[in-house]
Amino acid sequence: MKTTTIKKKDIAGFLDNILTEYKVFAPVTRDERVVFEEIGAGSEAILDYQNTPMPPKGILFPQTERLFSYRSTKEIPDIVVPSFEEKQQLIFGIRPCDARSFTILDTVFDGDVKDPYYVNRRANTVMISIGCTKPQATCFCTSVGGGPFSEEGSDLLMIDCGDEYVVKVASDKGTRLLEKRGFEDAGKDKLAFVEEVIKKAEASMGPEVETDGLKEKLDKSFNDPIWMQVTDKCLGCGLCTYFCPTCHCFDIVDETVGSAGERIRIWDSCMFPLFALQASGLNPRPTVKERFRQRIMHKFSYMMDDYGKIGCVGCGRCVTECPVNLDIRQVLDKISRSEDIK
Amino acid sequence: MNEVTKKIREVALKLLQKKKVDLVIGFEKGTLPLRATPCFVRREEEADRLVWNSFCENNLAKYIIRRPERVAIMAKGCDVRAAVELIKENQISREQLVIIGIPCQGMVDRRLVKAELQEREILEVVEKDNELILKGGDFKETLDRNTFLYHSCKTCTHRNPVIYDVLVGDVVEESNVDPYEDVKQFEDQLPEERWEYFSKEFTRCIRCYACRNACPLCYCQECFVDSSSPPWIGKTTNESDTAIFHLMRAFHLAGRCVECGACERACPVGVDIRKLHRKLARDVKERFGYESGVSLEQVTPLATFKPDDPEEFILNP
Amino acid sequence: MKNPYVPFPMRIENIVMETEDRDIKTFSLSFVHAEDEENFQYIPGQFAELSVFRTGEAPFGMASSPSQNGCLEFTISKVGVVTTALHNMEEGEIVGVRGPLGNGYPMETLRDKNIVLIGGGFGFSTLRALTNFMIDESNRAHFGDITVVYGARKPGQLLYKEDLENWGRRPDLHLYLTVDTGDEEWKGRVGLVPTIIKEVAPSSEAAYALVCGPPIMIQFTLPVVEKLGFPPDRTLLSLEMRMKCGVGMCGRCNIGSKYVCKDGPVFSCAQLSELTSNEY
Repeated sequence: MKTTTIKKKDIAGFLDNILTEYKVFAPVTRDERVVFEEIGAGSEAILDYQNTPMPPKGILFPQTERLFSYRSTKEIPDIVVPSFEEKQQLIFGIRPCDARSFTILDTVFDGDVKDPYYVNRRANTVMISIGCTKPQATCFCTSVGGGPFSEEGSDLLMIDCGDEYVVKVASDKGTRLLEKRGFEDAGKDKLAFVEEVIKKAEASMGPEVETDGLKEKLDKSFNDPIWMQVTDKCLGCGLCTYFCPTCHCFDIVDETVGSAGERIRIWDSCMFPLFALQASGLNPRPTVKERFRQRIMHKFSYMMDDYGKIGCVGCGRCVTECPVNLDIRQVLDKISRSEDIK
Repeated sequence: MNEVTKKIREVALKLLQKKKVDLVIGFEKGTLPLRATPCFVRREEEADRLVWNSFCENNLAKYIIRRPERVAIMAKGCDVRAAVELIKENQISREQLVIIGIPCQGMVDRRLVKAELQEREILEVVEKDNELILKGGDFKETLDRNTFLYHSCKTCTHRNPVIYDVLVGDVVEESNVDPYEDVKQFEDQLPEERWEYFSKEFTRCIRCYACRNACPLCYCQECFVDSSSPPWIGKTTNESDTAIFHLMRAFHLAGRCVECGACERACPVGVDIRKLHRKLARDVKERFGYESGVSLEQVTPLATFKPDDPEEFILNP
Repeated sequence: MKNPYVPFPMRIENIVMETEDRDIKTFSLSFVHAEDEENFQYIPGQFAELSVFRTGEAPFGMASSPSQNGCLEFTISKVGVVTTALHNMEEGEIVGVRGPLGNGYPMETLRDKNIVLIGGGFGFSTLRALTNFMIDESNRAHFGDITVVYGARKPGQLLYKEDLENWGRRPDLHLYLTVDTGDEEWKGRVGLVPTIIKEVAPSSEAAYALVCGPPIMIQFTLPVVEKLGFPPDRTLLSLEMRMKCGVGMCGRCNIGSKYVCKDGPVFSCAQLSELTSNEY
């Protein structure tokens, strides 16, 4: 099966059916904001939204995660690793940029060394994304290898066609899910119609960020004073990293009560001042300039070296959420165009 | 272009031409509608980047801390107050600073505006007198800017800079609103109700520290939350640790916070941080008759001891 | 799927106070479970993450040679939270270990070459591991001349005094010790490591220079080593960075696109000069 259709009014019922077998995460409204949360009924999911401020990366890579617990006495501590959830889960209504972000996180957590917490969860997760018929002015997914209807990372991609969605099947997992529920192939006409919708959306996207030759330019720029200029206004807070769907830096801490303890993994940020501080007192990235440069170089150069992928999906969250409107597109553009960097 | 923008550019240009300063810190047009962004002008030809509008929401005093060079700063009422406190705390000397004071009519809360328009994407904003004309792909709406000011601007009692070297724009009328009206109402609630309110607020906090980093008076080289030796609080989003972060930060700012609201504006999840800070600001005002950032001579009461201090602690151990 | 975050237990068998300022100790650990010992195959230059349960974890270079069976040694300087907790521990107590991690010294490449080991202060631990490994009976024939230059601030700060004595007696190893400032009993060389290397002038022919020490020592040693004719691809450094996961996932210890925990900690100067970043 390549495509099928589902009427918008049937979505709630579709999700209710899925809930009998899967844990479902979907966009819901909470305190005037749209967030991804576990739903109890299909009617809770909202379909009409642009994108959640907070990306859904926390579903597979939680902000706080217990790696193991132990009880420490003079004897050998008993280490207990939390059991990995067996129940299947489904993330519904995710945007293609966010679905794609997981393929980038896969390169980090599912490489030569595997992170079992992430990998197990990922294997148990089905992604149903909704393509972006109205990309926002801050979206630049097409500049970094993605697109408003990219299927990368999705199992099913839903395309809004008025009162129904055309559903493109992007993986075997997706096929199995639909076949089990009696969906049938929609035929070629629907596909043709959908191509028009896709073309229109892609055409509506704003000015691109030039990524051709960007890595080489960035590598040459490392010691250039341009970094001082672009980071003048950066507060060094770390908000951009928390809202970024591909940022994955974490810290590991031990928290204890009495003789019982837990080793916990928590989100961390390369923008935080003590991120790389060594016990000797040496801090290889002592000021905001070095830390911001590290962030940009990591995403647009180092990840290319290590994994062959740009570590950015162009979702635009860092642009909209930054308290001082430090715009990554502007920074990259400035460096790309700088004639002083050779 | 409004008059204030024109004047600011002239002032900045002159200061740079006459080499009175090495750097002018102000605002320029943002890359998004409803935003202006901090701007660092070091060369004469860059002076034309500077603007003044209803989106100049950041507290620029943040950027003058421990600067070695001579700096001019475009400062609204709250920015000047922060600068005053920083001068008193020896983070910059008065002589290094040229304060371009701007009487402020309040800044527009971009989130309130966006909420008003629900999910419709705003592509362009034009300001005309007190109107905000918002344009999107298929709509145009006009809003009254005064309805959409930040709460901190609606309760602001120091719109005019308390000190300045150059004043740009006309003096505005100070509001006689009681800035602590809602704090008093909140205080009348039961302790359980108040705790429940803040507990709920803190569950939203994601510990991104945007509030702390946006605050001009948070400038410790090593903040207590970052320290691991000793680890004062945990780094997870555990409710207890998060509550302590906000409460302790509020105490560290008691008598110093100028209630500019930079913290709230930076917070991406809408935690009601300012209420805590304003409660303490009000307490300091009532007990010590001190308002932070309005006088270069008065020292903050929590850094001072006088023998006739109402608190007896030091005298009677 | 192996869980890379879970440590296995080891018991503290022996603690040696190494320095007169009492800030550096060497811990000898024994395996609690036999299968952990079987699985722990390491080479000199690798490191492990030591856990003090209820306090935290930190990375330490292996100070023992793989030729020493049944135990692992770590030399620990008391500088922070975890190291202070370790220093407060006693023989018989349990710590957690994750490892071996890192790339270690390129043992195949070093075979049949002359090896010049240059260490300063606390950074000497992995070089000591390598030296002990090379002079072990079964290995000695595979390496050429071995020259060790090792310096500390004061005589009381020299580590591994027993090893130093043994090495000094061996005819198949040239040992040059130095201190920045001597004391009444010190009869040996006095001078900074870079100065001593200039004096000793080890030959760079078919030789590798392995340098390990505090950043300032490395900064002044490298030009001397270069002048002696050691090319960048035959000058190896063992770097240190703040680490957490130790397996290249937490994003913390990178220099450019290389992670010190995974692609290092041993890098040649040639590799380092190719990196975009100088943040180390």
